[in-house]
Amino acid sequence: MKKKAFLLMVAVLLLFLAACSGGSSSSTGDGGQTANGGGTSEGPSDQNGAAPEEVTLRIAWWGGQSRHDVTLEVIELYQEQNPHVIIEPEFTGWDEYWQRLAPQAAANDLPDIIQMDLSYITQYATRGQLADLTPYVESGLFNTEHISDSALSGGMLDGKLYGINLGVNAIGMTYNPEILEATGLSEPSWDWTYDEWEQLAYDVTEHGYYFTQGINNEEFFNYYLRTQGQSLYAKDGRSLGYDDDRYFIEYFGRIQRMYDAGAIAPIDMAAQIQSWEDGLTARGEALADFVWSNQYVGLTTATQKPLVLHPLPGPGVKEGLFLKPSMYFSVFENSDVKEEAVKFIDFFINDIEANRIMRGDRGVPISSEVQEALRPELDDVTVATFDFIAWVDENSSPIDPPPPVGASEVVSELNDLVERMLYKTITLEEAAAQFREAANSILSSN
Amino acid sequence: MGKLLHRDLIVGYVFLSPFLIGFLAFTLFPIMASFYFSFTKFDLLSAPNWIGLDNFYKMFKEDDRFWQALKVTFIYVSLSVPLRLCFALFVAMLLNAGAAMLGLYRTVYYLPSIIGGSVAVAIMWRQIFGDRGAVNSILALFDIHVNISWTGHPSTALFTLVLLSVWQFGSSMLIFLAGLKNIPRTFYEAASVDGAGAVQKFFKITLPLLSPIILFNLIMQTIAGFMTFTPAYIISNGSGGPMGTTLLYSLYLFQRAFVFFDMGYASAMAWVMLALITVLTGFVFFTSKYWVYYETKEDRA
Repeated sequence: MKKKAFLLMVAVLLLFLAACSGGSSSSTGDGGQTANGGGTSEGPSDQNGAAPEEVTLRIAWWGGQSRHDVTLEVIELYQEQNPHVIIEPEFTGWDEYWQRLAPQAAANDLPDIIQMDLSYITQYATRGQLADLTPYVESGLFNTEHISDSALSGGMLDGKLYGINLGVNAIGMTYNPEILEATGLSEPSWDWTYDEWEQLAYDVTEHGYYFTQGINNEEFFNYYLRTQGQSLYAKDGRSLGYDDDRYFIEYFGRIQRMYDAGAIAPIDMAAQIQSWEDGLTARGEALADFVWSNQYVGLTTATQKPLVLHPLPGPGVKEGLFLKPSMYFSVFENSDVKEEAVKFIDFFINDIEANRIMRGDRGVPISSEVQEALRPELDDVTVATFDFIAWVDENSSPIDPPPPVGASEVVSELNDLVERMLYKTITLEEAAAQFREAANSILSSN
Repeated sequence: MGKLLHRDLIVGYVFLSPFLIGFLAFTLFPIMASFYFSFTKFDLLSAPNWIGLDNFYKMFKEDDRFWQALKVTFIYVSLSVPLRLCFALFVAMLLNAGAAMLGLYRTVYYLPSIIGGSVAVAIMWRQIFGDRGAVNSILALFDIHVNISWTGHPSTALFTLVLLSVWQFGSSMLIFLAGLKNIPRTFYEAASVDGAGAVQKFFKITLPLLSPIILFNLIMQTIAGFMTFTPAYIISNGSGGPMGTTLLYSLYLFQRAFVFFDMGYASAMAWVMLALITVLTGFVFFTSKYWVYYETKEDRA
């Protein structure tokens, strides 16, 4: 009897242990890509020995399937060239990425290399989670020979380099020339105005098309503010960057007129659209989309239309436009293998073979050498993106500091108020005033 | 003897340990931690910062979205719970009336409850009630041409959520069915002899004898209703839109925690929700003595 109980007890314990260890191994092996991930993945090494000891690098990024594929391929390549490095990838979609990263930060367990976004970098950098990479640039471990200062400065905060820019982006619009042809409307000129923009929307609507399925409130309002010499957030991030409601009224008044005229698709219809593939452009029902330049390639593929990438209207295009870091690689402040992490980032940015695999998936590469090498091999659409970025480079002004802490709440407030305004439960003027008050109150706690 | 007892105790605890460790580490500890966090400003990235009752003050005094979320949740619960219970009781009575292939029907009607909370169903719901979805197509057959997205329009979005909840009536139905089977046939036979009709039988026999089960279902479904998250999250793309009309309490809590990284505030919201549910459940229990009929008690009295 006693023996039986003992055996049972052992069995239970074993089960429990097995369950535990099973859990932990599956959580580290997320992507299941650690082909040579043996049991020796512990000890981070000092970098002064001649024969490098084995190191494990954890890398996290967000993206879609195509990004996962190319990034894993690059990782494979790096591991081949650096047999002492074992890379553990952790990749998800955008939403889960941030929901996962924050608890990891709280547990002091962030990956060594973290893909960062402009809208989060302040939050993570000012809380001491990200390493200052300036020393590695100075020591040459990260080679900046072919990288312009303006490309690097996007990752700067208070003179410290918290993220290496992985590619540059610019805001723009795309349109479907087939629709213009069918309606007999002429193509918009390269330097056009907001009035011409609005007129085009009405013209195309008259022919039974939508102008667009929607325009992101935050990003395109910010562009408009910049053309007017204002900005969405103040430099110190403690308030909005404008205090006269007339900018809000001018911009969203236009949006409201276009919405009322049926040029912008109804909100409830737009909410239904989950991907470019089932968007109005793909259905051939809308003329234009408002996007970042790195989305242009994906948009063209998804919609199967010969879309044209075009600048936003002016006046003030030069003040309004800016080159935006599409995303960064940052290094965790408490990582034991910072130098190895920087080496990998250097490879990611400067290696031509690696960038050949990625084909500008994270935006136009910042290294001029890589750009030169890639250009002849690219398809028309990607070349158009490169050309657009080159044009923006000549016709833009410096980017504003990254959005302050609390920006996501401000954006959520803005979207809510614009929705109410379009549904006419509040007036344009009320929306303008309420947004300014709510946003300033959120930002004042910074 | 004492030694033996001691050893039995150890064996017992070892058998319990998988549960105990799980409970302590993944239930009790997080609960206590969230209680502490509710008095702090905690953004997950830096250490929590004690601010006393500020979170609660802000919630009740300054946060319009909190009140919006409360309003939406109360509308949702007060519509979906009674509707779901009525529907569950209705189907249970149909099944109880005796049908061929009862087992099959029981399973079929229970299916939505098993898959109901899942992401896939919410996505399906969004398609069915979309601007080019099944509902609009069916309406078009009757020459009613509607071009709105039911899930995307502020005046209908919440009701699609209520419908989704009613559709998952299976578990309540099973419990009702079990309850109905427990009511002795002789009561109905006696009533028939006395000349009672079907309606009278329902109100004088079925409902009173079923009332303890209605109470149980009411409480469980109310609690579940307050904690509804997945459908609202999926159908509104996590925004609680349009115009905050699907901003259920737990969705707003989630936004606070994982979108705005305001973990302290979110913890405070969780405790307010706990208090709310406790008060409501207490209220239901309190009123139950006026409408719940326990057969055994009467027998002994």
